[in-house]
Amino acid sequence: MSDNSISEGPVDVLIIGAGASGAAVAWSLADTRMKIVCLEQGDWMNPTDYATNKTDWEVHQYSKLNIDPNVRGLETDYPINNDESPINVVNFNGVGGSTILYAAHFPRLHPSDFKVKTLDGVAADWPISYDTLEPYFAQNDRMMGVSGLAGDPMYPPKQPPLPPIPLGLVGETVARGYNKLGWHWWPSDSAIISQPYEGRDKCLNLGPCMTGCSQGGKSSTDITYWPEAIRMGVELRTRCRVREVTVNESGMADGVIYYDADGNEVHQKAEVVVMACNGVGTPRILLNSTSEQFPNGLANSSGMVGKNLMFHPVGFAQGRFEEHLDSHKGPQGCCILSKEFYETDESRGYVRGYNMQITRGTGPFSTALQGYASGTIPWGPGHHDAFQKQFDHVAAIGILCEDLPEEHNTVTLDPELVDSDGIPSPKINYTMSENSRKMLEHGLARAEEALRAAGAVEVTSGGPVQAAGWHLLGTARMGDDPATSVVNNWGRSHDVKNLFIVDGSIFVTSGGLNPTSTIQALALYIADTMKKNLANLFD
Amino acid sequence: MSDLIATDNLLNEAQKAIFEALVDTLVPAGEDELMPSASEVDVLSYIVDSAPDFAPQLAAIVDSFNDEFVSSGEERRVQLVQEFEQAQPELFGGLLFHTYARYYQDARVLEGIGLTAGPPFPRGNTVEAGDLSLLDPVMEKSHGYRKVAGVSSDLR
Repeated sequence: MSDNSISEGPVDVLIIGAGASGAAVAWSLADTRMKIVCLEQGDWMNPTDYATNKTDWEVHQYSKLNIDPNVRGLETDYPINNDESPINVVNFNGVGGSTILYAAHFPRLHPSDFKVKTLDGVAADWPISYDTLEPYFAQNDRMMGVSGLAGDPMYPPKQPPLPPIPLGLVGETVARGYNKLGWHWWPSDSAIISQPYEGRDKCLNLGPCMTGCSQGGKSSTDITYWPEAIRMGVELRTRCRVREVTVNESGMADGVIYYDADGNEVHQKAEVVVMACNGVGTPRILLNSTSEQFPNGLANSSGMVGKNLMFHPVGFAQGRFEEHLDSHKGPQGCCILSKEFYETDESRGYVRGYNMQITRGTGPFSTALQGYASGTIPWGPGHHDAFQKQFDHVAAIGILCEDLPEEHNTVTLDPELVDSDGIPSPKINYTMSENSRKMLEHGLARAEEALRAAGAVEVTSGGPVQAAGWHLLGTARMGDDPATSVVNNWGRSHDVKNLFIVDGSIFVTSGGLNPTSTIQALALYIADTMKKNLANLFD
Repeated sequence: MSDLIATDNLLNEAQKAIFEALVDTLVPAGEDELMPSASEVDVLSYIVDSAPDFAPQLAAIVDSFNDEFVSSGEERRVQLVQEFEQAQPELFGGLLFHTYARYYQDARVLEGIGLTAGPPFPRGNTVEAGDLSLLDPVMEKSHGYRKVAGVSSDLR
C-alpha cells in the first residue's frame, strides 16, 4: 500500500463485482441491514447507448460493444492474454457484468451435473446437489424474470414465472426436424421477459441481444437485482478497480485496495469480503493478493486458485432453407434447445455431453460478412443472389460441450501485460481435451443431421469458435477437502474464513450448458447460508 | 493546415475513380435495379466519418490498382480484385468490412431486401408464438432426466 493511499472506514460486507453473482448476493444480504458496499470497475449502462437505438446497429458488435475486451478496449476493461488458448475470454465490465452482453439463454444445471464422479467416474462430485440449489433456482427465476415452459421431461419439475418467448418460424422448423428424428427438444428457459414484468416492458424481438437490450426486455442485473438492492441500502461504487485483498496479522481478510476513477489508491476496510469477479477476474485478484502469510496468493494453500479453468467449447452448424424463416427477428440466442445428447453414452467415444442451442439468424450486415467468411456469399457479381438465398432463410444449432476440469488449464498473472492501473493482467493457458474434441465433432454431426431433417438444403458447420469463452468456470472450486479445493460447500474460503467466492470460479464441473442461472442460484444459496450462520460466520 | 481527414483531401480524383470502381466490383448494382451499387451509397464518406483509423489506408489500397482498372470490364476487375484479396488479405478484409457496413445500413438497400430502414428500437419485430402442439411427440416419448441416487428431486 502506498503512502498516499486513502483509507475508508470498515464496512460489514464488501462485494467485488456487480455482475450476475455480485448483484444476487448483494440483494440477498441486503435484508440483514448490514453495511454492504459493492465495488465495480465499470460504469452504469445507459440503454440509449445500446446498438439497436442506432442506424448502424450491426457495426457496434464489432467495436465498442464487442464481447471480447481486447477488441472493445474500453477504459473500464482489462486486457487478457489469450495467446496460449484456442478460445478467447469474452466478458463485459460494468454494472450487470456480462449479463449486459449475454444471450440470456438460461438453462439450469441438471441433477446429474453435480455427481459426475459418481455417475461417470470422471472429475469430481460437487459437495452440494441440485436439491440444494432448487429453491434458489426458483428464487432467481423470479428475480431475473425468466420465460419458459413447465414440463420439460429432462428436468425435475419447475415452473418459469413467464410463458416462453416465441418459437417463430426458426423454432418451429427445427422442432419439426427434431420430431422426425424422435429427439428431445423444448422451448428454452430465457432470461428475457415475454410479458410485462415487475415494471419492465416485454421483449420487442429486436434480435441482437448480445449488444445490450434497448428495451430492457433482457434480464441483465443492472435492471433486475440492482435497483432493489440499492433501494434496500446497498452502496454500489462504480469505476473502482480492485488490485488486491488485504489481510491482517491473524490471516483474516481486512479489506481491499482499489483504484478509483481518478486513479487514487483507496484502502477499503471490511469485515467480510465477497469475490464476484468471474472465473478469470477472481483468480486474478486472489493471485495478486500476496503477503508473507499467503506468498502464493490468497486462499491458495491447495494451489487450486487459477487451475481447472473450464470453458464450454462451442461450435455451430447453420442450415439454409428454401423457405423464408424471418431469421433475424427475435432473441438471437434464445429459441429452443435439445438435450438429446446431454448425458453420457460411452459408445459415442467420449464421456458427458452437450446441449444443442437453436439460434436465430443475424441482420443483413453480419449475414453478408459471415457469408463471405464461410464461403456461402461471395462478393462480386453473385453477391445479391447469394445474399437473398441466405438472409432470413437460416437456422443454426450451437453445440455447447461440457468441459472437464484439468489442472493444466489455468489463469495466471501475466508477467508483462497490465491494465491501465498497472495491475497484472490474466494469462490464459488452455488446451481443449480430446474428450471435448470428440464431443464437439459428434455434436456438429448431429446438428447437421437435425438441420437436414428440418429441411435445410445446405448445411455448414465449424468449431470450436475462438471468441466464445463466455463461461469462465472452475478456477477456485468448491469441495470438502481443503487440499483439493478453494472454498467449502457454501463458498467460504478454507484458508480465510471471512472470504467468500460466489461466481463461476467455484464450479466443480461445468455441465454442458450456459451457467448464469446456476451461478446466480449458487450466489443466493451462499448468501442465504451466510445469513443463517451470521452468529458464527467465521467458526 | 487542417489535420481533418476529408474525402476531398484523402484521395485525388483519379484515386476516387479507382475506389468507386473497386467497391462497385465488390457490390455491383442489382440486375433488377432495386439494389444500388456500393459507390451509390457513398462508402468513401462513410469510411472517412466512421472509420478514421482505416481511412488513411485507402490510398494504399487504391494505389494497388492502376487506371486500367476503371476502364476494365467486370470479369477483368474481378480478377484484379481477387489478386489483391490474395496479396493483401488484411487490407482487403478491412475494405470489405466497411463497404458492407455502409451498404447494409442504407435505406434503399434495406428496403430492397424487404426491411424497414432505421434502428430496430423502438419499432421491434413481430414473431409468431409458434405451435406448441409440436411438443406432443416429445411428451409421448419416454425422455427423462438422468437419476441421481439420494437426491429427493428424483423422487417427485
